[in-house]
Amino acid sequence: MEERNSHYTLQTQSHDRIKLNVGGKLFETTISTIRAGGSDSLLTALSCRPSDDGDPVFIDRDPEIFSVLLSLLRSNRLPSTSRRFSKQELAEEALYYGIENCLKSAMLPPPLSGIDASLVETIRPAADGFPTAFTAGAGDGSVWIAHGGQISGYDWNLIHTGTVRTHLEYITSIHRVWPEVAAVGSENDAGLHLYDFSGGRHVGSVEWTDTSDPRVYKARVFAIADSTDSIFASFECAHRENSILKIDKSTLQVTSEIGRQSGNAAKTMVPRKLTYLPESGIILGSAVSCGSFGYSGYIRIWDPRSGKEVWETNEPGSGRSSRFGDSFADVDVDVDESTMFKVCSKSGDVAIADLRNLKEDPWVYLEEKNPSLRNSRGRGGGGGEENMVIHCYKKQVFLSREGGLEVWSRVKEKREEEEEEEEESSRRVVEEWSYRRNYVDNNKTKKVEDKDSSLSSSSSSVRGIIKRIEGGGDRLFVSREGVEGVEVWESSEFSGSVSVL
Amino acid sequence: MPPSESKVHSSNGFFQKKSEPNVITINVGGQLFQTTKQTLALAGSKSILSKILDPNFSPSEVPFIDRDPEIFSILLSLLRTGNLPSKARAFDLQDLIFEAKFYGIENLLMSSQSNPSQFEAFNLERSLILPLNGRDSPSAISTTPYGSVHVAHGSKITSFDWSLNRKSTILTQFLAVDSLLALTPSVAAAGATDFSGLQILDLEKGFVKETLTWENQTMSSSTVQAIGSSPTHLFTSFESGRRNSNSIMVFDLQEGFRPVAEVGHHEIYGAEIDSAIPATKLKWVSSYNLLMASGSHGGPSGVLGNIRLWDIRSGNVFWELKEKIDCFSDVTVSDDLSAIFKVGVNSGEVYVADLRKLSTENPWVCVGDGRKGYSKKKEGFGCKIESHGNQVFCSKGGDVELWSEVVLGSSRGSREDGFGERVFRRNLMGRMKDVGGNRITQMGFGGNKMVVTRKDEQCVEVWQSSVRGF
Repeated sequence: MEERNSHYTLQTQSHDRIKLNVGGKLFETTISTIRAGGSDSLLTALSCRPSDDGDPVFIDRDPEIFSVLLSLLRSNRLPSTSRRFSKQELAEEALYYGIENCLKSAMLPPPLSGIDASLVETIRPAADGFPTAFTAGAGDGSVWIAHGGQISGYDWNLIHTGTVRTHLEYITSIHRVWPEVAAVGSENDAGLHLYDFSGGRHVGSVEWTDTSDPRVYKARVFAIADSTDSIFASFECAHRENSILKIDKSTLQVTSEIGRQSGNAAKTMVPRKLTYLPESGIILGSAVSCGSFGYSGYIRIWDPRSGKEVWETNEPGSGRSSRFGDSFADVDVDVDESTMFKVCSKSGDVAIADLRNLKEDPWVYLEEKNPSLRNSRGRGGGGGEENMVIHCYKKQVFLSREGGLEVWSRVKEKREEEEEEEEESSRRVVEEWSYRRNYVDNNKTKKVEDKDSSLSSSSSSVRGIIKRIEGGGDRLFVSREGVEGVEVWESSEFSGSVSVL
Repeated sequence: MPPSESKVHSSNGFFQKKSEPNVITINVGGQLFQTTKQTLALAGSKSILSKILDPNFSPSEVPFIDRDPEIFSILLSLLRTGNLPSKARAFDLQDLIFEAKFYGIENLLMSSQSNPSQFEAFNLERSLILPLNGRDSPSAISTTPYGSVHVAHGSKITSFDWSLNRKSTILTQFLAVDSLLALTPSVAAAGATDFSGLQILDLEKGFVKETLTWENQTMSSSTVQAIGSSPTHLFTSFESGRRNSNSIMVFDLQEGFRPVAEVGHHEIYGAEIDSAIPATKLKWVSSYNLLMASGSHGGPSGVLGNIRLWDIRSGNVFWELKEKIDCFSDVTVSDDLSAIFKVGVNSGEVYVADLRKLSTENPWVCVGDGRKGYSKKKEGFGCKIESHGNQVFCSKGGDVELWSEVVLGSSRGSREDGFGERVFRRNLMGRMKDVGGNRITQMGFGGNKMVVTRKDEQCVEVWQSSVRGF
């Protein structure tokens, strides 16, 4: 703002100004303002018209909504008068003038900061409102929710864009492989299916077959990931044999089988989580099963180009784990930072591993420094009773234990280290990242939600167990077991003050 | 609207127009406004409006500013009168702040809306709740003179701007911030009783600008017990990590926090309890150039405490009081009233000590019910007392008492020592709906508001007196 002030010059030449008559109301602005919406907007086109006579350009639209959009072009910020119009109205009008990018940047939430996020809304699909899977993979804050056999799309403004009914009865995995195409799979039905969202129709299916093995038949999909040209999906047959298939995005042909395994032990279960790391071109799969003897699972990394396994860890059992008997309950990869985080099933501890430097025991356990939180880590030794979900997003680690949501955020810490160099001890200041744990939710949002949900149904009056967390854009989406809808958490610059007068 | 406004100034405007044009016409977003040079000059030299007044700026046409005309008309009224017109209510304060920032006149808007002179203690009512995210309730609070509020909750510090419309949150290295003091709206000093060093934090970007420490002979860590400031100095009460020594450090605020002096350094040997108490409250008394430091300790024999007034330049104690009977639960000093106020931990009553006639015997005059002084109950436990302007605010449980001096005519009550007996009276603040609630943990004052935090509540309560315009 300061910079803008100093550079701001008072325009006195009328030839770089433009007069507009919108629906009978006169507006005057500069050419540079009107072109701020981008080179292909309607307003830019209008500003290029020769206006030798000085008559204002007439646009037959609503003047009030135009004044809001003109304010937006002038200051990159929506004025409070915009609240008179619905989000949808503003978006449609901005689309008409071709300045939806300006509107987007003004309406999207600020960078997501887990230590200061609040529940802003709950997206509730109208029918079958219990989400079975969702994807926020487009990265612009939009989300596609699979609920039962339907997929509902919500755009960057969280406006419902449409619902597609698929032939599947119960979608358990969904991934956006093209901007308008979702790949869906079900643990109850065979095959990976692609649906075009804009047309609302089925565009293709992929089945896992093997000419040499007739048992490979009617395989179901458990996890989906994608790279720029391929889709990766983990398939499992009825006799539990499983494999990751690499599928070409344009031809929908299976190009290779990765990590085919028998599936008759916990070590060879079908991967239920797949992540593709574009930086190194590797694919990471993990599976966790929970039985009466606690959790067991594996994390495995393959190179899809060679189809070979690069690294693996099995818990319990493999390597010289420093935490014997405390196997992980969930694991997630921070794609940008090339790190992965796990949460231990018994102690509830969080550990980090550097994917660039994987060893036999790569885990570094994050220290809980706050004594008041140390005891609130769960039941402790409950042995697989807790439901824990971990998700890395924007250099933060979001973790849920039962219904609570917490975040581990990085803070730079200076630590003095004493070094003994030949009789002389000198102090060296070491800068390092340490992680701090904070709760994202508070008890108050719980109450508010209770009120909301008690209106809709009495059964969901208790906050449900978090089943899935995913970040997209600057939003965090959370779905809970037995609760209708997907929660949207955002950070805000506004204080959200409540008047009690 | 512009035409009618120009009529107001027509008496001097039209006649001078030919010789020296005093009336200035501006085109803002297509609407013409007319005003005088004097009005525009009030915007200050940094404002873009002052460019119009520049003698080198000789426009061939009416100067054009590409902004919203409706908000400009409100800001022009602000320039003309110093107050916001009532039509400003059609907009959010946030819109006005944003436009005022563009024109470079945010300080005018701030002084019309959140001016310390608008603080009316008798007219405060509970008006806003500022929610805090997460599960930590506030542990420390600090305000700036124009009403920005900083709240520490857990390891986070949330800052609200003077309008209380915008907030930002940073993560600190502390596990919990126990003392917080705002130095400017974007810089604060923070410390904790379980973390070594005082950190000067940039609250906008969230980085540590400076770490200030104090070291005793054993070179152990130093935790922060209290922070205070005068216009030129920053005071910090440190205690060593082993709790065997404590000291108050004086840092220069103007010269990059250079340590200037050290007062009240105590090394503890043996069981001498009095010197083992670090100062937990530091208040600057500007009219006497003294620093008030107080600390207390609860033991099996009751609560012991001391109050000291330090002369920073010489490093000597100007006055010292050891509290044994009905020791303070909290103590504060009021510059405007020239008095020290305490709330007794046993009685829960408010006492006054006049700064003009301090004695070391028993300077306290109970202004409440004096008979309670010898009870062994801890009725004043957790009570807070703070002074602001001419008033003293004392929290008792969930309520706030407002103590004010009633100035009586000189005919009555004058005694031979030259001072009349001072009369203080109390009021319970707020309407019926505002009374009660969880125990108050912190009180702060800034602009025209009082901010209050309560035990186990993840929010900040704002008490305001109504302001013109909004």
